[in-house]
Amino acid sequence: MNNQATAPKVMKETKNKIRVDFERTDFWTRFKLKYLSFKFVKTVVWVVFRLVLLVGISYVILSPVLSKIFSSFMGKEDFVDVTVKYIAKYPTLDTYKALIVEAKYFTAFFNTLLLSLACAIIQTFVCCVVAYGFAKFRFKFNNLLFFLVIFTMVVPQETLQLSLFMKFRYFDIFNIIKLFGGEQLNLLNSYWPLIILSLGGLGFKNGLYIYMLRQYFRGVPDELEESAYLDGSGVFRTFIQIIIPLSVPMLITVFLFSFSWQWTDMFYTDLFFPKSSFVTMPDLVMIPKSLDTVYAGQSMYEAAIYNTASLLIIAPLIIMYLFCQRYLIAGIERSGIVG
Amino acid sequence: MTNNSAIPAKKRKKKIASLDARKARAGWWFIMPFLAIFLIVYLPVIADSIKFSFSKLIIQSGGGYYTEFVGLENYQEALFEDPKFVQILVAGIKQLIFDIPAIVIFSLFMAVLLNQKMFGRALFRAIFFIPVIIGTGVVEYIDQNNSMLSYMIDSSSSIDNGAGGATASESLAEAANLEWLFGSMKVGGELMDYVVGIIANVYDIISRSGVQMLIFLAGLQSISPAIYESCQIDGAAAWETFWKITFPMISPMILVNTIYTVIDSFTRSSNSVMLYIDYIYKEPNKHVVSSAMSWIYFLIVLALIGVVSAVISGYVFYQRRD
Repeated sequence: MNNQATAPKVMKETKNKIRVDFERTDFWTRFKLKYLSFKFVKTVVWVVFRLVLLVGISYVILSPVLSKIFSSFMGKEDFVDVTVKYIAKYPTLDTYKALIVEAKYFTAFFNTLLLSLACAIIQTFVCCVVAYGFAKFRFKFNNLLFFLVIFTMVVPQETLQLSLFMKFRYFDIFNIIKLFGGEQLNLLNSYWPLIILSLGGLGFKNGLYIYMLRQYFRGVPDELEESAYLDGSGVFRTFIQIIIPLSVPMLITVFLFSFSWQWTDMFYTDLFFPKSSFVTMPDLVMIPKSLDTVYAGQSMYEAAIYNTASLLIIAPLIIMYLFCQRYLIAGIERSGIVG
Repeated sequence: MTNNSAIPAKKRKKKIASLDARKARAGWWFIMPFLAIFLIVYLPVIADSIKFSFSKLIIQSGGGYYTEFVGLENYQEALFEDPKFVQILVAGIKQLIFDIPAIVIFSLFMAVLLNQKMFGRALFRAIFFIPVIIGTGVVEYIDQNNSMLSYMIDSSSSIDNGAGGATASESLAEAANLEWLFGSMKVGGELMDYVVGIIANVYDIISRSGVQMLIFLAGLQSISPAIYESCQIDGAAAWETFWKITFPMISPMILVNTIYTVIDSFTRSSNSVMLYIDYIYKEPNKHVVSSAMSWIYFLIVLALIGVVSAVISGYVFYQRRD
């Protein structure tokens, strides 16, 4: 055992180069110290365990999507064939065709795209402004008003279902329109209800966005704004030119949330678009006439059609997520949300 | 001399006060959009909803509607006359009380794992947050139909209909043969049922813990590495470090996440109570009853949040800054 290696000799070779001579510990000793220790075994076991766990959970997350993809290509005959598990024997694109043509996928796509984009942009901006107000300014009732934000988060949407419907069916602000003899506005079947709610940061889950952004802004050092003020920049200019560019990853996170939650939302679209003339994504969940038959595998077949519809609905979201996910992580990592 | 110095001091004081005042005013401007729409639209909506729950709604044929005050009649109907509401309410709340610790613990554990340096971390993170993006609204509704269907026709058909989450986790539970495992461990039957139940619902729990994972990850990132370094120097094991450093430092986040989980599970539309309220809403002439039901439900949620936050707040450790 030559654990005690002789001290390395340092020799100067040229002006810029040195050569170090030392006696190297032999391979077996190094191997033993490094790999045959309890600590190393523990690390390996942990790494393997971790990998298995993560892969397993990823499988649980991805398998429904995968099986939906497999079953979306199946023909009618596959659902009564016992030998079919994943790979279709009678592959067909009929399900997609029928959904795209008969359920008006592209109309639904553009309607929902416009709605979700409008809502997401407005909500992101409004929540950002409101959250900044709550985070950085001390005014009377700050905490009390913030409690209202939490309150909007806690009230279940369903509680307000009826009164929201009534509010926008007979829209009026403090009876002002009625006072002047005008008729109350029917804002249903238009973008207005959602836009009005978004403008106030009262849309779907906006309380959460305001909360997240507020925590984020609290972590932004005050000195940044103070130096801007000293340089003569006003409060609003500081916000637009310094704070917003700084928080782009966080804003993308909020945008991603609000876009995708609005995209799949059924509650508000059901409530505010009661007539079926306005096709949105949830309207895809139907059985196209050309596929509507009665046979043994019907219930499975219908489930597969619904699943194909859900694939069509989430496809744009997945594509967007692929581009935005690194911002999602970055936004959260920098946020330093602390309670 | 004294006179001279007094004046600027006074001036300076006034100037600071005015800056503060200006900033306070700016603060009001910033929260104005929220406040304005809240007062103009949201508050009347809430007031209406409360009013509806105490009254009878009559829609006039010519347009407009009026309400007739009926007192507690709707609440009475919801609580005593409706055959299912109380039953569903109790079952739903029980289920959620079981789910909440599972979700919080799972998301904390996963956040700790995903925070470690390892191969493919970015990929795993990307996969884990997919349910946050796609697991809501209409997709959630379809998935629910799927699992209902797979219960009804059980496994007579071999095709995986994409109730996949449920199927995958069931097969996972079968593979692990948990009941046997726990049977040999001599733990209480209830605990066993609980764990088996969680594993069978693992997809549900995973898909509901995305946001919580994000919040925990953010919390873990904010812990200074210097603390861990000094722990390592002092010879603390990873296990000790977790319980003595990570856990207390992240405890505010545990509070936040528990409350968020309560809110999220209670208000998500796949919740059985929510589904029932929605179902009642769609029945003719029952709108107001559904309002009453959801206010009862809201009060229970609020009470639960109060209890949970009171209990957890006692244990939360706040790092004193400066």
